[in-house]
Order: sequence, then structure tokens, then C-alpha cells
Amino acid sequence: MRFELDDDQALLRSSTRELLEKEAALADTRAVMEEVPEGFDKNMYAQLGELGYMNVLLSEEDGGLGPIAFAVIMAEMGRVAFPGPFLEWVTAIRALSECPDTSAKEWLAKASQGDTLVSFALAEDVHNADPAESQVAFEGGRVRGTKVFVPFGEHAQALLVSTAQGLALVARPGTGWNSTPLETLDHAQRFVRIEFDDEGTLIAEGEKAASVLDNARRLGALGASAAMFGLMERSIENSVQYTTEREAFGKPIGSFQALQHRAADMLLKSESTRSAAFRAAWAEENGEEDADYLISVAKAWAGPAGRYVGGQSIQLHGGVGYTWEYDPHIYLKRIKTLEQFHGSNRWHIQNALRQSPIL
Amino acid sequence: MDLHFTSEQKAFQLEVQEWIAKNLERPFTEEVKDPKHDADSLVEVRRNWQRKLNDAGYLGQRWPVEWGGRGATEVDEAILLSELARADAPNIPNFLGIPLLGPALIIHGSEEQRRRFIPKMLSADEIWCQGFSEPGAGSDLASLRTKAEPDGDDFRITGQKVWTTFGPWADWIFVLARTDEEDRHGGISFFLVPIDQEGVDMRGLKQVTGEAEFGEVFFDGALAKREHLVGKLGEGWRIAMTLLGFERGSSTLLNPADYERQLRGLASGLRENGEIDRPDVAERLGWLAVQNEVMRGNGLRTLANIDAGMPPGPESSIEKIFWSEFHQTMTDEALDLLGPQGQLKATSSHARPDVDWAYQYLWSRAGTIYSGSSEIQRNIIAKRVLRMPTAK
Ligand SMILES: Cc1cc2nc3c(=O)[nH]c(=O)nc-3n(C[C@H](O)[C@H](O)[C@H](O)COP(=O)(O)OP(=O)(O)OC[C@H]3O[C@@H](n4cnc5c(N)ncnc54)[C@H](O)[C@@H]3O)c2cc1C
Repeated sequence: MRFELDDDQALLRSSTRELLEKEAALADTRAVMEEVPEGFDKNMYAQLGELGYMNVLLSEEDGGLGPIAFAVIMAEMGRVAFPGPFLEWVTAIRALSECPDTSAKEWLAKASQGDTLVSFALAEDVHNADPAESQVAFEGGRVRGTKVFVPFGEHAQALLVSTAQGLALVARPGTGWNSTPLETLDHAQRFVRIEFDDEGTLIAEGEKAASVLDNARRLGALGASAAMFGLMERSIENSVQYTTEREAFGKPIGSFQALQHRAADMLLKSESTRSAAFRAAWAEENGEEDADYLISVAKAWAGPAGRYVGGQSIQLHGGVGYTWEYDPHIYLKRIKTLEQFHGSNRWHIQNALRQSPIL
Repeated sequence: MDLHFTSEQKAFQLEVQEWIAKNLERPFTEEVKDPKHDADSLVEVRRNWQRKLNDAGYLGQRWPVEWGGRGATEVDEAILLSELARADAPNIPNFLGIPLLGPALIIHGSEEQRRRFIPKMLSADEIWCQGFSEPGAGSDLASLRTKAEPDGDDFRITGQKVWTTFGPWADWIFVLARTDEEDRHGGISFFLVPIDQEGVDMRGLKQVTGEAEFGEVFFDGALAKREHLVGKLGEGWRIAMTLLGFERGSSTLLNPADYERQLRGLASGLRENGEIDRPDVAERLGWLAVQNEVMRGNGLRTLANIDAGMPPGPESSIEKIFWSEFHQTMTDEALDLLGPQGQLKATSSHARPDVDWAYQYLWSRAGTIYSGSSEIQRNIIAKRVLRMPTAK
């Protein structure tokens, strides 16, 4: 048995870390968050496309790296709170690869370059983004209906839209999307509501559509869990560093046992997320029967764990932790986004229970 | 990464499952419920079970062959313990002697000591208890005051030990005693002491469950022979610290298996009560199942790292906190979800048939105290893993 990464995965981790630290340090995350309307650095994504990152979820022949490598990349992106629609983008590429349609293949080729964003339009209820039957219709070559919480939808070149008839691909109309921003507490997100009345192509129907969407949800949940691990890991490093440097009552605040125990609890949550997420990635990679179950376990755990770590990280920073200038809020906010999408905590608890050995 | 058991390990798992099916008459919970039993006869059930395990070669299976080993790995041991927990098999009476004292004797003991003590420890002809804690020395074990003074070639022990698990049924006790007042750690030595002698007064100590599963023991010039000193004088602390680290991986899969069995019992209770489909109930049950699976993930990771020969990481303190605190969470939830029935003692009429919830609930309060309390574990994580500063 071996839990640690194989050599090539470990190499991927260090090279990804190096790349992101150099090209997408937190200062850049801030700049993107505050100043870039798209919410992501196009050059950075083009570079990721060039380096082959966008194809991570494809089959090996098509440049895919496998679920464990995917989790490694997501965890590294979590560490720098890497902004933008990477997770949607790569799961959309995977979804396109599963659809035999020729337009799907064309979009796949473009999206793989890292300069053409294809995102998902799935949720229809503002109070529930979990998988559900769609009310949006695909009729006579047109998609009609309203989607909410479309991630980075405004700037997507195409959207994969779930409809009652199957999965539709809609290219951005010449006049742009009929969209309204949905601003959340996470300033790095760019969610929109879109009213569709646009030409589209049905790229998967019936069971095929269901399985494409299920794979996207499952891999999205895996990626989100790994990203939350990275977000937590870095939050803890930052908090420990801060409490070591900051003094009060003549001592480093990190010497106070109350804070030490808080930090220990944060590490317990974060390391347990690592165990759960990488175990799930391993199961997915090996086609284990319980992969879906283990991914739900990881995602259901990661949300509350991350929320705890992110919140306590602000607490350990004191007043500066509540300022825009310091970083803890960036991490907490990203965790809050990730815990609601790709299946909420509640959805994953139910999905895990259904498949649990205790029933 | 590779989290698969090898085909040999899978075969071993199957072998153990078949062996249990053939040899275990009934789950221990059913023994506990049987009115014919009292505390002493339940110990005999456990003793007989230990003998069966020993005859089958399952005890000390990782030790050198001459001491009962069979070249088993930590993974095999974890498989064995988790299968036993899954089946609700009785805990063996030498559950402290075999995993703790056994390896200590193999590593630090003399050939003579090994020959004298190991076979009877394995066969449950002699039951061992652990005499470390004192009324004034628990978490701060090194402040222990029980002393061993030279008497000719031998030693006389004077002082008190407390919370001595299984003491009331034990024949021998391994004792940490002070042989040098000046040297805090280097003044502690490790002795093997027979309980049935003048100068040793072992008394049952009633615990919150109402039973006296542990004891307090008073030494008043009790004899410890020179040949029963383990290691050299002053090596006791070092030996104690290494033996507390021995069982790093073996129990990794035990707790998840044990709690899974209990959660299955909770689910069947809720099914019978017609409540399992209530969304609020299902969500609480599901969250418990999720946490148990996360715990198993931690366990697999620890085990895999040991198997791959990696040095110990932060896992062991994290695991200790996780299993002990999750046991409390789980039993808290179970007793709430099952209503007053959950509080019935196993022997009471109307009690749930498969899990002794009242006992589990109370017993869960102990796990966060013994073997290094939750607070001590958090200190370890903060200082040794996170390297947070120490107050000057
Ligand atoms: C069921 C059970 C079985 C046991 N079996 C055995 C046995 O077989 N043999 C044996 O030798 N002992 C045994 N013990 C004793 C056990 O090892 C001690 O109880 C344990 O080490 C705690 O010591 P204490 O009871 O003196 O508590 P204390 O050390 O007084 O601790 C009291 C509280 O203070 C906290 N605390 C202590 N130090 C610190 C610190 N530095 N920072 C923060 N908090 C701190 C503790 O976490 C705890 O919450 C058993 C205990 C129990 C409950």
C-alpha cells in the first residue's frame, strides 16, 4: 500500500506549484478579483492550455492525466486561490469529449487551447443548485428558459445547458448572452442568470445526457474537494506564520494554548480532507465501485471542514483578519463557493448515505 | 498511490472472516445481555476467546517466529483487528499485555524474561495490567512518585497506581517506578511485578458505567526481583515511550469497523422505528456515516504510509483525536435519535439487540482521556507538527 503520490504525480505537484507561485501568486489573484471583469487572467489560462492542463480530465490518449493528477492540480490551485473557471472549463472539456456530436468535437478542440471558455448552465433554482430535473426546453433547435448561477457565464464562448430534452450546447450569440449578474459574497466569482432563447445543438440525450452530467458533477465534486484541501492547507500555513510573528502580552500569540488547539483542530480538518479527497481520486482513477460514494464522502466533509478552517483563520489573525488587505477572507469565500456547487453538502450526504455500508 | 490490499492480504482477510464465522459462537453484545453472566464470567468468555485466537496463531503474529510470530505485517494486523471488531468479537483480556508489553520485552527484555512471560501472556494464563498513572501523575506521567528501592539484589516498591485497567483480574502488573529522585526522566525504571503478594493491595475502582473494570493498586514494600527489571535502571521512560508508539498502525481500521457496526445498529433501530426516511433523521445518520468513512480514509493513509516504510507523520495524533471524539459525537447522536430506548442498559428488557448504546455512550467519555488526552494530542500537533512557538 502507498498513500503518497507516485513520482510523476509528485513532479506535477512541484511544477504546478512553481508555475502558480510565479504566474498566479495571491497578489495576482487579488488583481484579477478586483480589476478584471472576466474574473480570470486570459493569458494565464492560455498558458495553461499550452502546457496541457486543460485536457487533464480526458483519456490518456487525448492528453489526460487521470483523477489523481487532477486532484493534485486542484489542490495546488486551491493553495493560491487561483481565480477563474478552471474547474468548470476542464469538466466541460471532459463532457464534450463524451458526446459523439461533431460540434462537440469542434468546441472541445477550441476549449483545450485555454482561450475559449466553455462553461455549464445547470441550476434553475436560486435556493438549490443540486442536480434536478430541468424545466428548460430544447425545441426546434432552440433552448428556452432561465438558468441561474451560471459560473463565469457572461464571458463564456459556449455553454453546456441541461434541458428537459438532454444536454444542449449553445454558442454565445452575436449580441451576447441575455444575462444579469448574480454577485455573491465571493468577490472572485462571476455568476450570472441567463435567459435563454437561443439556437443550440443537442449533444446528448436520455441516459447519455444523464451520464455526461453525472460525470461532470462527480469530477467537479472531486476537484472542489481537492481545491478545498489546498485552500485549507494554505490558510493554516498563513495562520501559523502570522501567530508566530504577532506578539501580544509580550509573547508570540501562537504560544497561547487556546490558539494552538484551534490550529490543531484546523489541521485535523484539513488533513482529513486530504485523506478523503485523495482516497476518492484514487478510487476514481482505478474505477473502483465505490468511487462515487467516496467522492461524496470527501465533498460532504470538505465543505464544513473548510468553512471551519477559513473562519478560524480570520479569527487567528484578529482585526487584520477582517480587513480586505489580509488574505484569510479570500480563502473563506472560495470555500463558501465550492461548498455550494458540484453538489451541496446536503446532496452529498444523501448520496453517500444511499451507498453507505451502514444501510 | 495504491490503497488496494495485495492478493495475499485479501486472502488473509477471507481466512480471518471464515475463521471467525466458525469459531465465534455469538457477538459479545449477546454475551453481555445473557443474564447467566456476571463480570467474572464475562472475563472467562474473553479468556477463552483469547485462547482460541492464540491456538489459531493470530496473537503476536508480527513478532519473531520463536515468540509466536508468523511474519505478518502491520496491514495484516489491521485486517485481523478490523474483522474482529466487525464481528463484535470479545476483546481479549491481555489487550494491554500483548500489544504493549510484548514488543517491549522483545526489544528491551532479556531472553530469560521473554521465555518466562511471553507464552503465558499469549495463552491468557497470566493476565497483565499497566501501572503507569498515579493519582498525582497522569498526563504529566514523568512526575510519578512510586519508588523502587534496592533491597539486596532486588527492589521494594512503595506508592500508588490508579485507573489500572483490568487490574482486578490481573496476575501481573508492569510498573514505572522511580529509582532516582533527582533525574526526572532518567530516574524512572520499568518493573514486572506479581500482584499476588504481600505488599500489593489491588482494589476495584468503580467507574462511571457502574462496573469496576479498572482498579487502584497500593504498593507497600512489594517485591520486584532484579531479574524482573526490564532494560537497565533508568531506562524505564525510554521504554515506556517506545512501547506507546508500537501500535501506530494496527488499530487504524479497527475503529471504523467497530463504529460501522454500531452505525448499522443505529440504522436498523431507526428503520424499525419508522424514522429512517425522515429527511432530518437521514441527514444526521448520513453525516455520521460520512465522518466514519473520513476516519477510515485517515486510517488507510496511516496504514499505507507505514506499509511503504514512511516515518510517522501528523497522523497518529489526528487519528487519536478523531476516533475518540467521533465516538462521542456518534453516541450522542444515537442516544438522541433512538429516544429513551437508547439509554436502556443491554441487560434491560426492550434494549436494542445489537448495540449496547448506554454502555457505548458512557464508555465514549474515556477515549478522550486515556492514551494521551485530546488536549495532550492537540499540544503535540501544535508543537511538533505545526511548530508553533513556546511561551518563554
Ligand atoms: C478508562 C481509563 C482507563 C485507563 N487505564 C489506564 C491503565 O490501564 N494504566 C494506566 O497507567 N493509566 C490508565 N488510565 C489513566 C490515564 O492514562 C490518565 O487518566 C490520563 O493520562 C490523564 O491523566 P489524569 O487522569 O491525571 O488527568 P490530568 O492529567 O489531571 O488531566 C485533567 C484534564 O487536564 C487536561 N490537561 C492536562 N495537562 C494538560 C496540558 N498540558 N495542556 C492542556 N490540558 C491539559 C487533560 O487533558 C484533562 O482534560 C486510564 C484512564 C481511563 C479513563
